[in-house]
Amino acid sequence: MRQFILPDLGEGLEEAEIVTWHVNEGDRVVVDQPLVSLETDKAVVEVPSPWSGRIARLFGGKGDLIKVGAPLVEFAEGTQGDTGTVVGELGQEEKAPRGAEASAPAPARTLQVLPAVRALARKLDVDLNLVQASGPGGTITRADVERAAKSLAEAEPAEPLRGMRRAMAQRMAAAHAEVVRTTVNDEADIDDWQQREDVTIRIVRAIASACQAEPSLNAWYNAEAGERRLIKRVDIGIAVDTEGGLIVPVLRNVGEREASDLRAGLDRLRADAAARSIPLEELRGATITLSNFGMIGGRFANLIVVPPQVAIVGAGRIDQRVLVHNGQPAARRVLPLSLTFDHRVVTGGEAARFLVALKADLERAS
Amino acid sequence: MADEELPVIARFEVRRRSYLAPDGTVLRPLPNFASDSDILISLYRGMVLTRAFDLKAVSLQRTGRLGTYAVSLGQEAVSVGIASAMREEDVVLPSYRDNGTLLWRGTKMEEILLFWGGDERGNLSSGPADDFPYCIPVASQAPHAAGVAYAFKLRKEPRVAVCLFGDGATSKGDVWEAMNFAGVHKLPVVFVANNNQWAISVPLQLQTASQTLAQKAIAAGFSGEQVDGNDVVAVRAAAEDAIAQARAGGGPRLIEAVTYRLSDHTTADDAARYRPPEEVQTRWKEEPIARLRAYLVSQKAWGKSQEEELAADCQKQIEAAIERYLATAPRAPQTMFDHLYAELPRAYASQRAELSGGSDA
Amino acid sequence: MPEVTLVEAINLALARAMEEDANVVVLGEDVGVNGGVFRATVGLQQRFGAERVIDTPLAELLISGLCVGMAAQGLKPVGEIQFMGFIYPCIDQLVNHASRLRNRTQGRLSCPMVLRTPHGGGIRAPEHHSESTEAMLAHIPGLRVVMPSSPERAYGLLLAAIRDPDPVVFLEPTRIYRASKGQVEDNGEALPLDVAFVLRQGRDVTLISWGAAVKETLAAADELAAEGIDAEVIDLATLKPYDEETVLASVTRTGRCVIVHEAARTGGFGAEIAALLAERGLTSLLAPIARVTGYDTIMPLPRLEQRYIPSVARIVAATRKVCQFS
Repeated sequence: MRQFILPDLGEGLEEAEIVTWHVNEGDRVVVDQPLVSLETDKAVVEVPSPWSGRIARLFGGKGDLIKVGAPLVEFAEGTQGDTGTVVGELGQEEKAPRGAEASAPAPARTLQVLPAVRALARKLDVDLNLVQASGPGGTITRADVERAAKSLAEAEPAEPLRGMRRAMAQRMAAAHAEVVRTTVNDEADIDDWQQREDVTIRIVRAIASACQAEPSLNAWYNAEAGERRLIKRVDIGIAVDTEGGLIVPVLRNVGEREASDLRAGLDRLRADAAARSIPLEELRGATITLSNFGMIGGRFANLIVVPPQVAIVGAGRIDQRVLVHNGQPAARRVLPLSLTFDHRVVTGGEAARFLVALKADLERAS
Repeated sequence: MADEELPVIARFEVRRRSYLAPDGTVLRPLPNFASDSDILISLYRGMVLTRAFDLKAVSLQRTGRLGTYAVSLGQEAVSVGIASAMREEDVVLPSYRDNGTLLWRGTKMEEILLFWGGDERGNLSSGPADDFPYCIPVASQAPHAAGVAYAFKLRKEPRVAVCLFGDGATSKGDVWEAMNFAGVHKLPVVFVANNNQWAISVPLQLQTASQTLAQKAIAAGFSGEQVDGNDVVAVRAAAEDAIAQARAGGGPRLIEAVTYRLSDHTTADDAARYRPPEEVQTRWKEEPIARLRAYLVSQKAWGKSQEEELAADCQKQIEAAIERYLATAPRAPQTMFDHLYAELPRAYASQRAELSGGSDA
Repeated sequence: MPEVTLVEAINLALARAMEEDANVVVLGEDVGVNGGVFRATVGLQQRFGAERVIDTPLAELLISGLCVGMAAQGLKPVGEIQFMGFIYPCIDQLVNHASRLRNRTQGRLSCPMVLRTPHGGGIRAPEHHSESTEAMLAHIPGLRVVMPSSPERAYGLLLAAIRDPDPVVFLEPTRIYRASKGQVEDNGEALPLDVAFVLRQGRDVTLISWGAAVKETLAAADELAAEGIDAEVIDLATLKPYDEETVLASVTRTGRCVIVHEAARTGGFGAEIAALLAERGLTSLLAPIARVTGYDTIMPLPRLEQRYIPSVARIVAATRKVCQFS
């Protein structure tokens, strides 16, 4: 309910007589629409509506006197003139804005580069990810950028990693991030081997034998569940270097196959690997791995344990060394052995016992 | 020693000036100018125009064509009476409600509308170039008035500053500090406290414990006079007297014009929230325009046809002014920088350009 | 050419301005007979009379309001507020009137006033006498805020401020009122407002400061030179409006910026400069922008005030750190 009070109409009048109503109760009116004609001492005056709205009540009829300050018309809507302010206008209630859906946060920037240095890198076309930072707080300096620019100028064009190389990069990074690598090394005196010993097969059989002596290195570890699974069957992953990169097919059930069978199996795997026709199942399920890098060169290595496996054996290049044999220095053929294991799951003692067993088996005469 | 035996070292007195009773009858011999009916009629016309303009401004506000406006309903005698006693070379420093004063001194109606309509160009004012514009921060114009008066005195100019403020303003330090300084230096300034009994919703009883506002001058070392603010003859007479004294080097005076705010504080206020309509009804009986009309009619100096003519003339002037106001387009946005300093510093040139749709957005 | 202190330079400028222009009027508490509590107005009343050098009642609001009224009437009032700690009652007159009189009357009225006040701490004064709230004033559109750092600049800038047709708040660094000495020729020559002064050219880093802190900043630059850091030192002088061009040109060249101000850190005027550099000089930055400032706490009483005011050592340390970035 809102009342329209009779205002002073500009002539200092105290009251006026209603001559004619121009509206009825219940009518809808608009602002400025003439409501009523009033007669004062001086003139007949038309009073316009101050608001739009519906007329609820008219005060007085034709001939009645209305005093200035008294109600003239009552409107159906609106509060009694409370604007809630003394100056200006307060806006009407608006719908509260809906919070935006939480989108994925922007990835954190890890490069610390000040703007001028960034601008220099852009100018010299240097990828900041390749620049080694030497500034305070790990920031990249202009000198760092200039140095990188020089190196990049002398390097081959960038080559994106694909296929096996890409897979290796990812796999090795993941393994490194997870596994607690520890390596123990030894050498096996294989001078008593026969002339044409099948080295690789001899090694894999020795691994199987060591797995029997110390089963905890032939296992799978599920870090998330915190579970270890010892495996009876020895399936050895054989690291094969191909043109395309590193591939690790699996030689199954080494502990229970004959040497000739193992050799045939290995040859087939190698051939398929070279031809790039190895089916995926042949690459899966190794319980322990052998890296026979000695076929190319090198003695000992700190190898990569690929989860869920817990150990990898490295066989280095067979060479002659001067050892003490039967109390005397002697030139003997030796096979360098590296055993890298996941120390989350395998103890030093277990690893050492495995290595001892491996070495013992290898040192048996053929 | 009992209090009464202690010597009285200071007393004060405040006189109250009035000539016409609410019904227009004469209370005491009128001042000289009142014998000139042309002068009285010009005062009457000034008040009627002011009221008509005010009410039309309200109607514009209600229909969304004007911003908040401060109506001076019931106080026309103060604003017109004071202004009529000033010379053109005097300077007025009004509050925000002295519409009659501005109109009397030459500000155009469309300029007043422009100001309350939200355009600074309204303050360019066709009135005297040295007059101050409406002042919103209550009482802050009082120190300005003292500064203006000081300039007059320093330059030995026979000019007077007239400062208008309300009853609420007299509670502020600004008024005290200005009056105090004016008293020390006997400045040619007349302070007018327009006592309309209400400071928004705060009534006079809560505003001050002082019996009159006029006596606040005494503490500042000069005299204060109370005047019936609804008697334009009394207001004019008091102003003439005070201004003449100031002009002659007699120092400042405070005039308390007692009146009543018949309207809401502003168009956004609803006075019915805090004062009873019956009170307003009662006060209507004392209002200034009816009072002077009654006197003029009794002197046969005014009649119905003149009233009608005046009403029509006012309407015509007001309508024309409204038309001019509504036809005035808003300033271009970049002009908001145009009078920031005498010369816009380089630092802000780009922002100005941004507003003009020019360079760097 | 005589060597004068900063406060003496101010006195010279006031006298010259009053001599040149009969409209110049000085007003404030104790400015007349006493010559001002810091003697900034000494001799003026004797020379120009009590009408033009006014001992006002104790009323800061009044002082600033009188200035507005006088200025509107064409006088050139120079009001003095005894300490910046007492300027706050003037904020109403400065913000609501002085800063906007020209704008709100569209040029019909204007406000060529100056309000002078001693600024900053370090004189072992009691509370409230060590204020440095210039950032508050520099925020107000329509005002000018000027702070000299030497007698020469005090003389030249005050003359400029008095002659300027718009309101100026002139902040005088109290602790170098007497400690700062220089040769000042009383020739009535003003220095430009809105312009920064490059006091020392350098290659490696830009040090920006104003007021009394310029002294420590210059001393820091000397110390840094000995360790091979070549610092450019800029006295901002006018804080509002400030010389963006000079600041940007310098930091674009050096790539490093250290801002020094006694005022508290947050929202201090250094933040505005840092924002400017981030907006318009970002790609030139070799190092993070550093601010060496007063702490975000109430300026302590004299026993601790030297720990609050940026010292040479703090400026040197911050600059060294910034210069580690290359």
